[in-house]
Amino acid sequence: MSESLPAPPSSAPASAPAGVIHDIGYRHYDGPRLSRGHATLALTVHSLRGVFGLGRTVRAKIIPFALFGIMMLPAVVSIAMMAMLKERGMAYSQYTVIMQAIPAIFLASQSPYTVAPDLRFRVLPLYLSRPVTIRDYVSAKLAAMTAALFLLLAVPLTVLFVGELVVDMPGPAQTSEYLASLAGAAGHAVLLAALGVAIASFTPRRGLGVAAVIAFYLLSSGVSGALVGMMESVGDDAAAAWAWLISPFFVVDAAIHVGVFGLDPAADSYPGGFGVAAAILIMLGLIALSVTALILRYRKAASR
Amino acid sequence: MNGVIAGISYRSLLGRRRVWLLVLLPVVLLALAVLLRVIGADGERATVTLLQTFAIGTMLPLLGVIAGTGVIAPEIDDGTVIHLLSKPISRPVVAQTKFLVAASVVAAFAAVPTFAAAYLLVGLESGVASGFALAALVGGVAYAAVFMLLGVVTRHAVTIGIIYAVIWEGVVGNFVPGARRYSVQQWAQTVADQVSSSVFLTTDIGIGFAVSALVIVVVGAVFWAGRRLRSFSLTGDE
Repeated sequence: MSESLPAPPSSAPASAPAGVIHDIGYRHYDGPRLSRGHATLALTVHSLRGVFGLGRTVRAKIIPFALFGIMMLPAVVSIAMMAMLKERGMAYSQYTVIMQAIPAIFLASQSPYTVAPDLRFRVLPLYLSRPVTIRDYVSAKLAAMTAALFLLLAVPLTVLFVGELVVDMPGPAQTSEYLASLAGAAGHAVLLAALGVAIASFTPRRGLGVAAVIAFYLLSSGVSGALVGMMESVGDDAAAAWAWLISPFFVVDAAIHVGVFGLDPAADSYPGGFGVAAAILIMLGLIALSVTALILRYRKAASR
Repeated sequence: MNGVIAGISYRSLLGRRRVWLLVLLPVVLLALAVLLRVIGADGERATVTLLQTFAIGTMLPLLGVIAGTGVIAPEIDDGTVIHLLSKPISRPVVAQTKFLVAASVVAAFAAVPTFAAAYLLVGLESGVASGFALAALVGGVAYAAVFMLLGVVTRHAVTIGIIYAVIWEGVVGNFVPGARRYSVQQWAQTVADQVSSSVFLTTDIGIGFAVSALVIVVVGAVFWAGRRLRSFSLTGDE
C-alpha cells in the first residue's frame, strides 16, 4: 500500500546528510560555581519568602500577614497603655504563651506549604540532582520555618521594647526580661518549626497537613488543660504541674523562661527541681525526634 | 443522594491517612474519660467540663474540619472533580451527597464516643450522656455543612475553618459575649442543656434561636454549595 503513495516532497536522496546540528549560539556557563552552602541558603531564602507569601499570589499573602497583624495587636495596646496610663500591659515572657493560638495557626497553615508541594509534584529528585543533599534540604526547610516563626514572635516583642524605651516608663527598662523573652521566642520557633514541618511532611496534601498540625496543637493543649483541671480538682498539685508540660508552648516556657532565666511562669506552676531538667530534656527530645523523623521521611521519599 | 458518589467519598475519607486523624481524636477523649475515672475525679461537674471543653470545644470542630473539607477539597485540589462534575448528575445532588457523607462520618466519630465517655463517667445520670451525644450530633452536622461549603468556596478551607474554630469560637467567644450567639459550639451546648438537667451546664442562648440557627446554617450551606458547584470554575492556584 505504501508504494502507491507519492514520495513526500521533502525526502532527500540517501546520500545527503541525515541531520545537521546548527550552532545557534548556546554557550556554556563558565562563571563561578557556588558551593553546596549557597544552594542551601538559596533554598532557605526561597522557602522563607514563600512562608510569608512573597513571590506567590496575593491570596497566599493574606493569611500570614493577617496573623502577623493580630500578633502585633497586644504590643500596640501595651504601648498605648504605657503612654497614657503609665501601666505595663503584657509581660514579655508571657506574650507568646498568651497569644499561642496565633503562632499555632501560623505554623499549621504555613508549614505544609514548605514541604507539601515538593512531595506532591515529585520534584525532590530535581533538588537532589544538584549538590544539595537530603540533610541540606531538610535543614533549609527547617531553617526557613524557624526564621519565619522567630520573626512572628520576636518582632512584636521588639516593637514593645522599643515602645517602652520611647515612652520612658518610670523605673529601669526591662532589658533582661526582653532578652530572655527573645531567647524564649527562639526556643518556641525551633521546637514548633521542627514539630510542624515533621508532621506536615507525612502527607503530600496541603489541607490534610494543615489539619494534622492544628490537631496536634489542639490535642496537646486540650489534653494538658483537661489534665491540669482534673488533677487540681482532686488536689494533686504536683501532678497538675507536670500536666502543663504536655503543651509545647508551656514546655518552652518552663525550660527557657523559668528554667534558664528564672522568670515568672506563665502557667500556675511547673514541677520544681528535677522538673526544669525534664522540661529541657522534653524540648530537646521533641526537636531531635522531629528532625530524625524528617530525615527518615525524606530518605524514603527521595528513593521513590 | 447518589450511591456511587457516596461510596467513593466514603472510600476517600476513610481509606487513607485521614482516617487515622479521625480515629485519634475520639480515642483521646475516651482515654481522658478512663483516666478521670481511674483517679476518681469522675463527678458530674468534671464530666460536664470535660465534654464542654474537649468533646464539643476541641474534638468536634477538628472532626468537622477534617471530614467536611475532606469530602470535596482534595478532589478540587488535584482536579479530579472535573470527572465528577462532567457526569449528568445535578450539582445540588452532588453537594447533598457529599454533605450526607461528611455529616454521617462526623456523627459516628463524635456522637458515639461522646456518649460512651459520658456513660463511662456518670452513667445516664441527669441526661448528661444523651444531651451531649445529641449536641455532638447536631453540632457535627452543622460543622460538616459549613466546612464542606468552605471547601467548595476556597482553596484555604482548612486554614479558614480552624481560624473560625480556634479564634472566633475559642478566643473571641470568651471575651465578647455577643460573639457566642454566632458559634456552632454554643448552639450545640444549648441543645445539650435542653436535654440534660445537670446544674453544671448553663448556656445563655435560647433554644429557639439555637435550633433555628442550626437549621438555617445547615440548609443554607448545603444549598449554597450546590449553587456554587453549578457555576464552578477550576482555577489553578500557586
